[in-house]
Amino acid sequence: MKLPLIKCNDLTKVYKMGQSEVYALNGVSLEITKGEFVAIIGSSGSGKSTLMNMLGGLDKPSSGEIRINGENLSTMSGKKLAQFRNVTIGFVFQQFQLLPKKTAHKNVSLPLQYRRPKPDNIDASVKKGLEMVGLADRAAHRPTELSGGQQQRVAIARALVGNPQVLLADEPTGALDSKTSEAIMTLLQDLNRQGITIIVITHEDEVAAYAERVIEFRDGEIISDHIKKAA
Amino acid sequence: MSPLTTLGLAASSLIERPLRTLLTSLGIIIGVAAVYAMLSIGEGTKREVEKQLSSMASRSFTIWPDWNRRRTSQSKPSFPFKESDVEEIRNIAGVFAATGSLQRNSTTISTEIGDTTANFLGVDPDYLKSGGQEMLAGENISYTDIEQSAPVVVISDGIQKTLFKNQDPIGLPIKVNNITFTVKGVTTAPDSNISFGGNADMFVWAPTSSARNRIIGGNPYVRNHIRSIRVIGDIGANFPQIEQEINIIMRRSRDIKTGAPPDYRIFSSRGWQERNAKSQKTISYLLAAMGAISLLVGGVGVMNIMLVSVTERTREIGLRMAMGAQKSDIMSQFLAEALLICVLSGLIGLGAGYGLSQISLGSEEIKMVFSSKIALLSFGSALLIGVIFGFLPARRAARLNPIEALRHE
Repeated sequence: MKLPLIKCNDLTKVYKMGQSEVYALNGVSLEITKGEFVAIIGSSGSGKSTLMNMLGGLDKPSSGEIRINGENLSTMSGKKLAQFRNVTIGFVFQQFQLLPKKTAHKNVSLPLQYRRPKPDNIDASVKKGLEMVGLADRAAHRPTELSGGQQQRVAIARALVGNPQVLLADEPTGALDSKTSEAIMTLLQDLNRQGITIIVITHEDEVAAYAERVIEFRDGEIISDHIKKAA
Repeated sequence: MSPLTTLGLAASSLIERPLRTLLTSLGIIIGVAAVYAMLSIGEGTKREVEKQLSSMASRSFTIWPDWNRRRTSQSKPSFPFKESDVEEIRNIAGVFAATGSLQRNSTTISTEIGDTTANFLGVDPDYLKSGGQEMLAGENISYTDIEQSAPVVVISDGIQKTLFKNQDPIGLPIKVNNITFTVKGVTTAPDSNISFGGNADMFVWAPTSSARNRIIGGNPYVRNHIRSIRVIGDIGANFPQIEQEINIIMRRSRDIKTGAPPDYRIFSSRGWQERNAKSQKTISYLLAAMGAISLLVGGVGVMNIMLVSVTERTREIGLRMAMGAQKSDIMSQFLAEALLICVLSGLIGLGAGYGLSQISLGSEEIKMVFSSKIALLSFGSALLIGVIFGFLPARRAARLNPIEALRHE
């Protein structure tokens, strides 16, 4: 049994809505091992996005503990968290979140610009990243000159360029048609086979079907956690 | 993120929005140009005033007997001055020249070549200095000439041209009211600020004694009298002090009782020139304030556009934070943008201001001066504006919550 890469212990997140308190997360405990392909599913408001923000170091739990790679995120300073996001996490968003005026190459290089110390082979890393998503010939294109699927590939290349421990994808196919979605999920599957830990947040069962492990959320709690037998 | 990368990021963001960048910088450009122009007009004016204040005219006092005084039981008639008065005044500290003179206007001067009308003056050697004049040929009137009542004269350039044509006049005879003198020297016309109208370049000087004895005649009350005294102070001398000492000397010499009104007058253009300088100074402060206000307005424009930019790029900021940008990275990115726009427009504004000052060089009314101090000051204020007005938007950007920023529409 491998050591867990991610370990969540009794996580809660409470939002105050006027007089009442709303639990976005209510005592979530979870372990994810290196190399897993996990889908977190649930309807909107189930707490899956809150969990993802916490795993990505963008949000802190009201109580409980998250450890990723042995580091306790709940007690990290803002500066440390920023560094953690840069080094350990690769984000993929539903709306791609590419900078519209920059080329694919520039977009992909973004995480490396914030890496300390500054890496000296940024261009080579970016090229490799674009190759991994099959867009080496689109490096000089701006997002507006690319299709939705291509844009999401650029975003995936950007998430991978810094060699993160975990790739966090929030509804990566939410803005794509079914055929393109398939291609993106197949790409993620391929990347997972190369050893990258991937966590996909989705509300679609078809998307979750690509993952090895499916964790279902409802009302801030885990209601099921299946690991698929290798087909 | 390295400072160079930050700068590059700021530069590319400005280039990506060319029209906005141009319009925003316009405010700063005009502001800096205005500050620069106003300060250099102020400086130019200041130098002009200083030049005026150090000119002969503004350093001079002219002392005349008070002709308007009537003979009453309380006061004596207003006598002319004595040569000894002039000597005493010459010894006051800070006096550059003091001279006493006699004058007879419209005197007929003639030589073999022709005749003309000119002012005839009896002078001492200091008269040359006090008029800012120079000898063109020959020698000035000397004290020996005065002692010996020598029949010699110094003539003006104008007289030489009229009455001697191409001859060398030194040693040649010249007639003043038909009395023969010998030409001893030729001098330039006086400083245009010191002579009062008339035919400034037509005059003949004789030693005071010979002028009195041969042409003008003595005074029944005062031996060795002179008509007026001109005093020139050193540059930067204490003029009120000099005036006070002149008063002490004159009152003693003329035996005026303490508290009694003086029977002479001291004329000086210094008073109104100093007032003039003061009002010029006020005007230049006013101009600089106007420049500063336009720079301020430009700065508000920068802040406004930076705030818009932060709002517009909220998602970009969220994304950069998710990718690992520190708060300080975001802060410096936007601060660098504001600074860059201010520095660039500052430079352009400086160029524009300098261009204006070059154009104004040909103008008589406006004197602008290029000085690195002024350039530095107006450029520095642009830099300051960038920091001050860039800070708030940059801080707002750095304080965004990445999750909300990413969701921003």
